[in-house]
Amino acid sequence: MSRSYDRALTVFSPDGHLFQVEYALEAVRRGTCAVGVRGSSCVVLGVEKKSTLQLQDPRTVRKVAMLDDHVCVAFAGLTADGRILIDKARVECQSHRLTVEDPVSIEYITKHIAGIQQKYTQSGGVRPFGISTLVVGFDPNDKIPKLYQTEPSGIYSAWKACSIGRASKTVREFLEKNYTENLERDDSIKLTVKSLLEVVQTGAKNIEISVMESYGVITHLEQSEIEKIVATIESEKEAEAEKKRQRLAATQAGQASMAMGSQAVSGTQTPSAGGAAGEGEGHATVPGGESGVQ
Amino acid sequence: MECSFGLTGKDYVLLCSDMSAGRSIIRMKSDENKIKTLGPHLAMAYGGEPGDTNNFAEYVERNMRLYHIRNHYPLLPESASAWIRRTLAESIRSRKPYSVNLLLAGYDTTTTKPHLYWIDYLGTKAVVPYAAHGMGVYVSLSTMDKWWFNDMNKREGVDVLKKCIDEVKKRITVHFNFNCILIDKDGIHHIDIESEDPITELESQQPKETLVDAPNPPLDIGNVGVTA
Amino acid sequence: MARRYDSRTTIFSPEGRLFQVEYAMEAISHAGTVLAVLSKEGIAMAAEKKVTGKLLDLSLAPGGEGMGGEGTEAWMGGGGEKIFLLNNNILAGLAGITSDANSLVNFARNSAQKHLFTYDEDIPVEMLVQRLCDMKQGYTQFGGLRPFGVALLYMGWDPIYGFQLYQSDPSGNYSGWKATCIGSNHSSASSLLKQDYKEDLTLEEAKSLCLKVMSKTMDSTKLSSEKLEFATMTLHPQTKQPLSKIYRPSELDGLLRDLELGGTKEDLIGAMEGTGGGGAVGNVAIST
Repeated sequence: MSRSYDRALTVFSPDGHLFQVEYALEAVRRGTCAVGVRGSSCVVLGVEKKSTLQLQDPRTVRKVAMLDDHVCVAFAGLTADGRILIDKARVECQSHRLTVEDPVSIEYITKHIAGIQQKYTQSGGVRPFGISTLVVGFDPNDKIPKLYQTEPSGIYSAWKACSIGRASKTVREFLEKNYTENLERDDSIKLTVKSLLEVVQTGAKNIEISVMESYGVITHLEQSEIEKIVATIESEKEAEAEKKRQRLAATQAGQASMAMGSQAVSGTQTPSAGGAAGEGEGHATVPGGESGVQ
Repeated sequence: MECSFGLTGKDYVLLCSDMSAGRSIIRMKSDENKIKTLGPHLAMAYGGEPGDTNNFAEYVERNMRLYHIRNHYPLLPESASAWIRRTLAESIRSRKPYSVNLLLAGYDTTTTKPHLYWIDYLGTKAVVPYAAHGMGVYVSLSTMDKWWFNDMNKREGVDVLKKCIDEVKKRITVHFNFNCILIDKDGIHHIDIESEDPITELESQQPKETLVDAPNPPLDIGNVGVTA
Repeated sequence: MARRYDSRTTIFSPEGRLFQVEYAMEAISHAGTVLAVLSKEGIAMAAEKKVTGKLLDLSLAPGGEGMGGEGTEAWMGGGGEKIFLLNNNILAGLAGITSDANSLVNFARNSAQKHLFTYDEDIPVEMLVQRLCDMKQGYTQFGGLRPFGVALLYMGWDPIYGFQLYQSDPSGNYSGWKATCIGSNHSSASSLLKQDYKEDLTLEEAKSLCLKVMSKTMDSTKLSSEKLEFATMTLHPQTKQPLSKIYRPSELDGLLRDLELGGTKEDLIGAMEGTGGGGAVGNVAIST
């Protein structure tokens, strides 16, 4: 009868799992990817956008939403669930302003969202929300960017950089490798795009970027701007690959010359010289390449 | 002891309110702002039982904002007036009614028409070209009857408003300071009604400088395309 | 009584899917096709009727010949089976389980009236769509309830966004479209629409595109008012207010004849075919 443990939510399985919550996380993994990156004075949200069909109205495809002037949220998972949760959060934002005359802090609203999600893991007869969210923004009278994540289980946590949705693990590993503290605005955007490109094969047309720079100041990048960033990233990658190839060629050439040198005992040019030249700026045809063979 | 009036012109609406706060014959404050901006093109001047007024105005403000943030576009003046009226009408039939009178002014960006609504604590709503609440009623309505005409430009509108204020100063024993806004297609502007020629002042300044902030900056997610 | 709540409907499968919702969508792909095309001047919608029968009396059904006076431009009832008026400014075409559909229509009409009551304006189209979808979503999350087996196409007008066309499904998702289709054969109909849709269509072209695609997707070779419902959403030329029109059977037959897609009454077709196939002239365009 172990199967019945994944039916009723209020029940633990014998080995201590809440299956429905875990399955809800699966639903999140089926959603498109969303990435958040915190810079020194800004926070960037990047999402993978499903390409809209030819006859579809792009206005109605929303993966990023404003909860209030200073809070922005992206979600991954079941779209309809997302809409409901966002609506609840929006009401809370205004209700908070009405009762205490202050806008919500980012942590407060995150906690609220996570609280709702938790309730749906413990109440009778409901399934959990099949979404994870990234909540970003600035607290009122504060200059520190905030980035939080919530999960179907009701867990919430603060991050420097974070990803949810499809292939989020790959993206997270990429972020872990490439994140540096105190990123400037442009670098944060670049890192976001770069990490999304790990999972988005189709490039700029399926990427959407929102940047929040201070309390209530949010910009949604134009398609052309994202294209530019993707282009620079691509050319950098190209250059990187070129360098690698050259280094490889240089090493091979070096090895060859060493092999020859050992015969002729005239190996004045070290293999590393060719490699050093390759590391230099631009596409300089490696001098060591040809001349290395003596 | 309060006084507010509003009037519509060709492509704008003016709203003016006194700035006194007090109880009975005692004035505690003469720089209280009793006009609340409710959206990019919507504002109201309110008066009535102190306490009720603030509470109600904030309640309205937050609900207008919620509508805006949920739907990516603000409530149009016509619908906002209906909502406010209904809220007051339900309130007066409840255990703890609000005692608030208000003038609601807005500019409809879809039809490019100005709107002015006279609403009282009983839940009465009237669509009017010009209106007044409080003390102003006794002297300014006749002034506006005489001087108001259709499709006034901004300068003509301000002139009528000045005439009303002069009349209040001349006839009413209480001294008032006034606070005035103008709503047109660009949003809500503050107007210095005491100055010689407020409209020239308004036009000489950069549009941004005069703009009264909507309670919150407008959202632009979703790019609201407004069709006529 | 743990089992009282743990209905199978609202739970995730180990892969994170909601099977009941997916099955509900499956149910819809067997239902009569509904398709709609958006143009600058208005929207056209056609729906395939599945319930037909020689002895079925439709004259008193909403939209039937026996209802409403002649010349009533916007007929404020409903198409009867597939197309319904939800509000002054919104028409919907439904595909799926009819009884579920009826209850959704009722809910939608109620929501629209509630909005009218509080705001004294016609409900904006997307808001009504959202209301319905919020409810549909609830039925996928709360225990003991199965999802609605209904997909809808909504066409409407509001002062903010003008003419709009939306589609929603049992999961509670919705999306906006220029031309779209639900029900059986929706994939082939969609690709036909994609092929033939042009920006800046006139309403007349939208109407004809709508019916032409319908004629290609429907199993029957000849279109007629007996198997079809048709409606348009336009603006009144003078008042610029939304004007919804569900076609009367006679009007629809007229339109079909004009477009040479059929439109003759079933018995007449028989008679004409008997005299040498003259009646088939109108159907040359049908290739499927």
